[in-house]
Amino acid sequence: MSRYVVTRFLLMIPTLLAVAVLIFLLVRVVPGDIVELRLVSGGTYVTKDVIQAERARLGLNKPIWNQFVDWMVGLVRLDFGVSMWSGDKITHEIAIRLQLSLELAILATIIATVLAIPLGTLAAVRRGTWIDQAVQLFSVAGLAVPSFWLGILMILFFLTYFDWLPPLTFTPLWQNPAANLAQLIWPALAVGYRYSAVAARMTRSAMLEVLREDYIRTAWSKGLNRPVILWRHALRNALLPVTTVIGLEFAFLIGGLVVTEQVFNLNGIGKLIVDAISHRDYTLIQGLMLLVAAGYILANFIVDIVYAWLDPRISYG
Amino acid sequence: MRRNAAWGGAPWRAVALLGLLLALAVGPAGPVGAQQPRSGGTLNYIVEAEPPSFDAHRETTFAMLHPIRPHYNLLVKFDLQNYPKVVGDLAASWTISKDGLTYTFKVRQGVKFHDGSTLTSADVKASYDKIIFPPEGVISARQTTYHMVKTVTAPDPQTVVFQLKFASPGFLENLASPFNWIYKAEILARDPRFYERNIMGTGPFRFGEYVRGSHWAGRRNPDYFVQGRPYLDGYRALFIGSPAAQVAAIRSGQAHMTFRGVAPAQRDELTTSLGDRIVIQEGPWLCNNIVIFNIKKKPFDDIRVRKAVTLGIDRWGGSKALSLIAFLGPVGGIMRPASPFAMKTDELAKLAGYNRNIRAAREEARKLLREAGIPEGFSFTLQNRNVQMPYEPVGVFLVDQWRQIGLNVRHVQSETGPYLANFRAGNFEAGVDFSCDFVDDPDVQLAKFLSADLSAVNYGGYTDRQLDLWYFQQARTSDKAKRAQIVHQFEKRVLSDQIYAIYVLWWARIVPHWRQVRGYKISIAHHLDPDLQDIWLSE
Amino acid sequence: MARPVAVDTVSAAVLPLAAVRPHPLRRFARRYPLGAAGTFLIVAMLLLGIFANRVAPYDPVAADFGAMFIRPGPGHWFGTDAFGRDVLSRLLFGARTALVIGFASSIIGATIGAVVGVISAYFGGTTDLVLQRLVDILISFPIIILAMAIVAILGTGTINLIVAIALSFIPRAERVVRASALAIRATVYVEAARAIGAGHWRIIFRHMAPNVGAPYLVMLTAFLGQAILLEASLSFLGLGVSEPTPAWGLMLSGAAVNFARQAPWMAIFPGLAISIAVLAFNVLGDALRDALDPRLRT
Repeated sequence: MSRYVVTRFLLMIPTLLAVAVLIFLLVRVVPGDIVELRLVSGGTYVTKDVIQAERARLGLNKPIWNQFVDWMVGLVRLDFGVSMWSGDKITHEIAIRLQLSLELAILATIIATVLAIPLGTLAAVRRGTWIDQAVQLFSVAGLAVPSFWLGILMILFFLTYFDWLPPLTFTPLWQNPAANLAQLIWPALAVGYRYSAVAARMTRSAMLEVLREDYIRTAWSKGLNRPVILWRHALRNALLPVTTVIGLEFAFLIGGLVVTEQVFNLNGIGKLIVDAISHRDYTLIQGLMLLVAAGYILANFIVDIVYAWLDPRISYG
Repeated sequence: MRRNAAWGGAPWRAVALLGLLLALAVGPAGPVGAQQPRSGGTLNYIVEAEPPSFDAHRETTFAMLHPIRPHYNLLVKFDLQNYPKVVGDLAASWTISKDGLTYTFKVRQGVKFHDGSTLTSADVKASYDKIIFPPEGVISARQTTYHMVKTVTAPDPQTVVFQLKFASPGFLENLASPFNWIYKAEILARDPRFYERNIMGTGPFRFGEYVRGSHWAGRRNPDYFVQGRPYLDGYRALFIGSPAAQVAAIRSGQAHMTFRGVAPAQRDELTTSLGDRIVIQEGPWLCNNIVIFNIKKKPFDDIRVRKAVTLGIDRWGGSKALSLIAFLGPVGGIMRPASPFAMKTDELAKLAGYNRNIRAAREEARKLLREAGIPEGFSFTLQNRNVQMPYEPVGVFLVDQWRQIGLNVRHVQSETGPYLANFRAGNFEAGVDFSCDFVDDPDVQLAKFLSADLSAVNYGGYTDRQLDLWYFQQARTSDKAKRAQIVHQFEKRVLSDQIYAIYVLWWARIVPHWRQVRGYKISIAHHLDPDLQDIWLSE
Repeated sequence: MARPVAVDTVSAAVLPLAAVRPHPLRRFARRYPLGAAGTFLIVAMLLLGIFANRVAPYDPVAADFGAMFIRPGPGHWFGTDAFGRDVLSRLLFGARTALVIGFASSIIGATIGAVVGVISAYFGGTTDLVLQRLVDILISFPIIILAMAIVAILGTGTINLIVAIALSFIPRAERVVRASALAIRATVYVEAARAIGAGHWRIIFRHMAPNVGAPYLVMLTAFLGQAILLEASLSFLGLGVSEPTPAWGLMLSGAAVNFARQAPWMAIFPGLAISIAVLAFNVLGDALRDALDPRLRT
């Protein structure tokens, strides 16, 4: 087992390295120039010399391989460099936004779980009835409604009927839980609905699978009562794939946040990604993309390990 | 010197009278009520983007000015109540020599930096040296604006002298640039890049906090050199990019205002929902959208095609319709309509495309296209920026206008990065370009159209030495009428004879603010805001 | 229990797939009313999109500055937008854009992914190892972020959008198809074919390709919905098609949001259109999956 864990862990390194190379190259072929964006996009008059000088200062006139080596050397020392746009350390840029995005992701996960597991179970147990159809419609709709549109409708609704808007600046949870939740619960709902749809579908199909297993049939035949069978035996066994999906979705939630954070004007990682791309902030894009990919690769790693640990049939080759 | 000085200790009646006059001047919804300025409170306002660095000498964006400007002072500034009048900020007074070559400024006494040290003329000199003669490795975005300056000297602690190479009629206005913050000489000597990441000024507000992506806060400077100012205890600049979120922030009372301005739809939403709790100030804006051509490529290498394309635009009709949905408005040439050097309307009407008879113009356009061998339904690509307001309405409007002279236009809205990169590389046929500045002076307004080797933002790629010659002539012509004449020649050549560019419409600025925000008057450029020294909150 | 490889909606939708057999169509509607409803909506959308120029009451592109912000009512059923363009007409033509982008990107993405997946599964060994590492890399970015990056490189516009969405689908399609293909590869008849000396490509095309048809189809349906959503999201971020092209996501971005209070119909109808279209594809996908997956048959 421990050998499997170590090999599996070491395998992440070449993947991450390849991801880093890919990101670096992608960023360089993106048309658009951070210097021009910084100095010309406001419409005021600037000269060519100024643009050239700024390019030189940011090291953009160095050969590509040179820039790559600089970045790699930094990475090895866990130094992600500084943002070309703001001049701040990339770790700092990410750190100040991570708290918000992380909290939002956790809230969305809680909402998703609380909705998905009962609904999915109910649908599986009542398979084929109108309840099943209703739950399926609810979850399939969750995958269909664009979460940013949901956000827009929410904001419209609050403003029209309550003349109220979620707070615009972030308050940490421990400072003022009410203000914090007032800001984050709505985007969490918008993202969480979609997320719950994924989880509810997984719960339903996992439950269906488990309900057909022999031991459940045995339990029925032994005359155990319904709640005991469902909760103690079936759901418990169905939860593994469900938690896996929830876990992996969590690592990918950043995708959903990209758009939702725009709608709610949240200062999170998703907005930072959009800004970094539109600013052509090479160093920041590199850092962020690496973070996102690493998060996902790590989540996958953990899931693999958990599975290996739980399922004796997997060989630790 | 400053008009607002009357506000400080003046008797109530005088203030009321002044307030009344101002209220009359700006209409019933005027920003200034007949009320004694009140101290206290925090002004919350929206800033649409974030500052790249904190150093105004190197940046060009208003997003840096809006949150950070209140920490600094300029040598001279525009009097926003009487634009384009220039008044002293750190300068107590100044004299200009008869030949126009020597500007001597007396610096105010007793001005203190936020660290307690006293400002002297050496600080002014060091700041301007950094702007005009930046040391190696230091970037100054406006270095060439001051190419007429020979030296800046500080003969005594209270005096700064600018010695010019030639008399420049626009020099004083150019000095009032809101980007020319005065820094501390000692710090600059130690680290000329200190100000990119740090704040140390003389302004009415000291640095509070900056949460990147969220807000910037400042608090009152108790040692400010103007007695009784600032009125506010502090301010908070909230960074909000989406226009919908901006309006929502104002509506919900989380922000008092935005200085850059909003679109008509947002204005209407705010007035319907907030009624008389919101005040709307509208005025001209020194920004515009223009169409540029790649003069080196077919079909726009043919002057007849360019002329047809400008003739096909119904500017007057467009102005009326677009002003309802976008912050667009006045029809004009290169100089902002109604600005000191602008063409008169009847003069303007003689330029190609400015005639009000659009039927005749379109007829002529079709004829020119036929002559140039452009078939019916000819298609070309119009590059535009993916910024919704006002680029998108401008693009949709142009596509629709050109459809009416038989042209099929593909409208491509790109991110600002590739949009600028395509322009720079000449990788376009026609494009929606823009310019946005803070001073009406022709030195600034005409510079874009200099030959490609002289102007970094002439994307058309043409070389026209006649234009260059006129540009440098007008820059040295002190006689206003003569200068105007040269400027108009320049405009006519760019817009009507050679048609290097098409001026579509000038922007119109709409600034909404809650009723309690007082002492603010809209100016022609969002770059000139905010001068928080005189703003106060009535509730 | 198989370890779910699902990381997003698409894979989640096709997750419990195994070897499959076709199922008679007419029983489909009775058994899967939601799926049938989805099919009906899709057919309706296709017809409306194809015949948009006949059905639409107005030109979707022509601005009419005399008719801005007209409320929904007779004349303009869904009202007009900021340029005086009829919202209904733009929605109808928008169906065309959505379907073109949806079908083109899904078919390209799913097909390339499937081909790579089958090849990877069939040849195994080094080929498989290399391809899987490539997929590992691409799959470690959320679809929207990958698509954003590709649009940033290629630029905006319909064709580039199709390429960006298709590229983001490839690794996901590859994963799903490879899993099914691996199962088929191990079956008796592939071994039999090999035993009688059939060539690689013959085995791949004659024996494996038809058998990954079912997961391919289910995946394709799921991709279609996803592609429409992606197009909307990218347009919302200003990275989609350009004005004045009628497209749902574009109708929902910028202008619609800005005028949401004044003219809520500008934001509501395109959002509904997107939701309904994606919903239709999703329920069809679900029904197909249920129908094609024998394990879930009651």
